[in-house]
Amino acid sequence: MKTFKRLTYPYILWIAAMIVIPMLLIVLYALTKQGNDVATLQFTLENFIRFFTDVDFLSTLWISLKIAFLTTILCILIGYPIAYLIANSKPKQRNLYILLITLPMWINMLVRTYAWIGILSDNGLINYVLQLLGFEPQKLLYTDFAVVLGMVYNFIPFMILQIESSLAKLDNSLLDAANDLGADRFHRFMKVTLPLSLPGVISGITLVFLPAVSSFVIPKLMGGGGYMLIGNVIENQFITVGEWNFGSAISMIMACIIMISMYITRKLDKSDDAMARKRGKA
Amino acid sequence: MEMNEAKRLIEFKNIVKDFDGQIVLKGISLDIYENEFVTLLGPSGCGKTTLLRILAGFLKQNEGRVIFDGEEISDLPPYKRELNTVFQKYALFPHMNVYENIAFGLKIKKMSKDVIEQKVMKMLKLINLEGFEQRNVTLLSGGQQQRIAIARALVNEPKVLLLDEPLAALDLKLRKEMQYELKRIQQEVGITFIYVTHDQEEALTMSDKIVVMKDGEIQQVGSPTDIYNEPQNRYVANFIGESNIIPGIMLEDKRVRFDDIDFDCVDVGFKEHEPVDVVIRPEDLDIVAQDSGKMNGVVKSVLFKGVHYEIMVETVPGTTVSVKMNVTKEHDVASSDAKERISANHFFVDLEDVKELNDAEIIARADAQAWDPENDEYLSISKIEYELKEEVGNYPVTFSTAGGTAVTVNIMVVEQKYVENPKKNEAISAFNFFKSVDEIKESVALDTDLKTWANAQGWKLSDESIVEIEDVEYDFDPDTISPGVYQVTFSTKGRVFKVHTTDMSEEGAEIALNFYPEDIHVMSKIGY
Repeated sequence: MKTFKRLTYPYILWIAAMIVIPMLLIVLYALTKQGNDVATLQFTLENFIRFFTDVDFLSTLWISLKIAFLTTILCILIGYPIAYLIANSKPKQRNLYILLITLPMWINMLVRTYAWIGILSDNGLINYVLQLLGFEPQKLLYTDFAVVLGMVYNFIPFMILQIESSLAKLDNSLLDAANDLGADRFHRFMKVTLPLSLPGVISGITLVFLPAVSSFVIPKLMGGGGYMLIGNVIENQFITVGEWNFGSAISMIMACIIMISMYITRKLDKSDDAMARKRGKA
Repeated sequence: MEMNEAKRLIEFKNIVKDFDGQIVLKGISLDIYENEFVTLLGPSGCGKTTLLRILAGFLKQNEGRVIFDGEEISDLPPYKRELNTVFQKYALFPHMNVYENIAFGLKIKKMSKDVIEQKVMKMLKLINLEGFEQRNVTLLSGGQQQRIAIARALVNEPKVLLLDEPLAALDLKLRKEMQYELKRIQQEVGITFIYVTHDQEEALTMSDKIVVMKDGEIQQVGSPTDIYNEPQNRYVANFIGESNIIPGIMLEDKRVRFDDIDFDCVDVGFKEHEPVDVVIRPEDLDIVAQDSGKMNGVVKSVLFKGVHYEIMVETVPGTTVSVKMNVTKEHDVASSDAKERISANHFFVDLEDVKELNDAEIIARADAQAWDPENDEYLSISKIEYELKEEVGNYPVTFSTAGGTAVTVNIMVVEQKYVENPKKNEAISAFNFFKSVDEIKESVALDTDLKTWANAQGWKLSDESIVEIEDVEYDFDPDTISPGVYQVTFSTKGRVFKVHTTDMSEEGAEIALNFYPEDIHVMSKIGY
């Protein structure tokens, strides 16, 4: 076995070069002043102070979190029943459904999002149908609705797959046992299936909330040019404005928020268990 | 009838169940009474678990009715049935602690908190796990999980507790402890237990009533002593306890014949000269001095089993045939330029089989091979020359390669040597054969190879069905064998009785077996 250990060295080197160093660079940029060269680094917290004292940035952050939260909730509400159906279907059908869920992910996200623009635009498919049925055309594209729709559409497969795999792992004899002890389908779901599938929901939340909160392509395309989420702000800082130091600082702030939210979700999961245990004591 | 005393609680009426056309239960009818410990016993696949799941409501029968406490319950969902199940792998809820697991059923019924607490504590006391309320169930031992599963079911005060192989996952010692524990719990709570197992010892230890099942049918229903002492057929006798089962003929009431000897017995009600199976339990046989018992015999083997010895005694010897094995040195022939080598064996063939011989068969029987000694690659044998007549005698056969290297051996046509044993209704045959020293030394499973080389076969005289050759004996040491002629003896199994006794016997001792008429149990052959 010892000899195989050496095989990991190239990967460790790769990870160091491609992940750790760029991250350290971001930290370095965030903590230094604009216009440094390598010889004279001037450390500062200015970039952070600027972010937290500007109401516009803070409100953008707030909206981003709100949209990401909404997206996550919708992904759970829509994804759970779908995952439940898939997990309870026959193996052959199950494979087909999983294929159908993952199939769109094989296509470039940009292309898929553009397709939605075609459907939602003022003279797109939906408004065409509405007009045919004699309704007033609605403004759909470039709204919060469109942004959330785009995000839910793009991220829901992650939620479904996570929940489905935790439901599929569920031991059938536990369901029999719940039935046997007097639980009808509803109680059985609430007391056994749902709590035991929570780990899948939690990892689904992580996989949906994280990309949603920092996404910039979807809000740009579905929300229109003026639509700003925190991901777009970071993108602007790097690409349009050219302030890498400020952009790096915002990235770091986002990273912290994401880490904290992950920590809270995991904690919630565990304290749920602990709470249940305490209730048992009473 | 016992019906007057105990109340009938469950009635299975002609239950039929199939899975995708495969019939698992073939019309089961069974009554179960109040406060009984009933065991459904049978090998895996006999339908016992299916029957239990039908009663619990997880499966629905294709035909027949299930009556519980006088009411048909076939259409009732599991959560409305007044019975609870202990599952094979416990099926405890991993996200709940011990207390919550046990309280599950009570909470569903919306009982008040203090009532739930009282009942759960009572259960924990019953299963000797007081103080375990807050424990994580996944961290408990198998035996503890098992007891919690039992408590979780019993706390609902069911009229019947179903147990699906609940001890299968426990180790032997724990299993024994749990057997007593289960019996104690059943007597304490005083409800019906229906217990599914494939373990006959478990069934005998705990049950009031055993239901022996096989292939979706009930073979016998009775108390452990009934089932053990009076098995209804060969299957039940074999499944429950150890037994000697001998085919015999019922001469008249209380008189049975087997192995050409007539014995007194206590069984009645068979037809005259009806073929029957006779059971004698190993512990009912006594070993006594030769000529002072019912049958003389020879001790074949002695095994120490802890409490007793298991002694195999042969009362009727098997059928035996001996053949000669000619062992030669390496017998390959080299070509003049030493570039090729070729080898073959002499072989014997039965007069009747001569006309079936062809080139391929002869190459195979003579084990003819040619090869290049440089690189050990096989060469093909391109020519076979022989003249065969359907008469006893020796006929030379010459194998040669394309390169002209040749070897000549003899095909020896003989009349097959076989031994008939009408007393045991069997015959056995084998051929003399030729082998090289190396072939014998290299053999990994010599007994099997000897059987193949000698083409040793045994068969029943009546229907020519195969009789297994049990014993191969030879007078050489395979590790140090040198060229020469050796004797190999093949024999079928004789009539061997298994005896359980606390008295030691010597292997090879000539003794006699003794038993009493009541030790013989005669079973009808029908039903198997």
